Amino acid sequence: METPPPVDIPEPWEAVVPPPPAPRRRRAAIVALSVLLALALGAGGALTWYLLEVNAAWQEQSADWQALAEQHGAELAQTRSELDATRSELAAVSDQLVTAQERITVLADEKARLGDESAVQQQLVDYQQRVSAAAGQVATALATCIDGQQQLIGYLEGAEAERYDPVQLATRREEVESYCRRARDANDDLQTELNR
Amino acid sequence: MRRRAAPLVGGVLCVTLLAGCAGLPERLGLPVMPSPVPSDVVPTDLPAPAISVGDTQLSPDGFDVVRRMAVRIRNVGCGELSTGSGFALTEYTLVTNKHVVADSAQLELSTYDGRDVDATAASTAGLADLAIVRTAEPLPTAPELATADPVEGDPVTIVGYPLGGRLTVTDGVVVGTTTDPLNTTLGEVLITDAPVEPGSSGSAALDAEGRVIGVVYAKNDSGFSFLVPVSTLRAMLDDESAFAPAPTCAG
Repeated sequence: METPPPVDIPEPWEAVVPPPPAPRRRRAAIVALSVLLALALGAGGALTWYLLEVNAAWQEQSADWQALAEQHGAELAQTRSELDATRSELAAVSDQLVTAQERITVLADEKARLGDESAVQQQLVDYQQRVSAAAGQVATALATCIDGQQQLIGYLEGAEAERYDPVQLATRREEVESYCRRARDANDDLQTELNR
Repeated sequence: MRRRAAPLVGGVLCVTLLAGCAGLPERLGLPVMPSPVPSDVVPTDLPAPAISVGDTQLSPDGFDVVRRMAVRIRNVGCGELSTGSGFALTEYTLVTNKHVVADSAQLELSTYDGRDVDATAASTAGLADLAIVRTAEPLPTAPELATADPVEGDPVTIVGYPLGGRLTVTDGVVVGTTTDPLNTTLGEVLITDAPVEPGSSGSAALDAEGRVIGVVYAKNDSGFSFLVPVSTLRAMLDDESAFAPAPTCAG
């Protein structure tokens, strides 16, 4: 069995007493704390100052944006007003265009109808000219025929009828018949024109 | 003295760091200074606005293509006068019916706005009631020919000069096909319920897209109109020998 080692019991007059804090170390701690506090206060102040600056900048920007928005709002209102006026004007011009188109169509129709009437009138004039020419030919041929026939009758019925050569009389008769044939042909042409 | 200046120096340093060092406030989670307000916020790359002009294509004078293609034809014959319709095929060519230009001494043309156009030559098809007239002056506009004939129920628009009167646009639908009751056109012809009158002969019949689907040439007592289909028109145009000089009343 092992015996415990002897304990060294201190003497009462040798008891350990903590040394009192040195005034220099305490002062250092206070200084350090003060510096830290000052730094914290400085940082806090700087932060506050920065935040105030940021706040002011944002407020200024907000005001600028609002001014810009109001400017564009005014421009938009002006543009809308001009757009409404332009639309109204466009509607009026469109109405005028429709009216003008209608008028153009009517005038084109009137011109075409006048052209039709003019063409018809021209055809009538041409027809009347042809009829007149045919009638003139009939009259001329008929007059020649009648003159010839009257002359021939004079030759045949006169007291001196026996003086004329029968051959010449026959020739004259054929000539008169030719005149009268022309008159009949001209009359046929006239009737053809009249029947058109 | 040095001890008293320390907080001030530190504060200035911090402010300098916060305000001067770009990005530091963001890294610290602090609000940042706003960017300056631009002087103008109107975008410059806006797409051009789509301008609606309705369902019709407008021309400089406001008339739509449907009306601008129409041509009025006056057939001055030997002692007779008749009118018909036609439509531009190209700048100097128009299409109409054979019976519109036949037996004429002179053909007189006018456009939708009353402008006179001189006709230089006319030729007629032998196997269909179709004719082509060449012009000395350009025609206002020419439509596109449809690639296929319409089918029953398809809408049809007819533009022409019924009774030789005002330019008129009428609508209807294709109601079927039949063989030509007048025996003037080979093959089948189209029947529509679009109203036409004498003088409408030669009018263009258009589909919903404004393409030519046929040429009006007749009507019946029931009010139905008959069209030479565009397939026949195309076949005639493709065959140079299909057309011969139009007969005149002078012989």
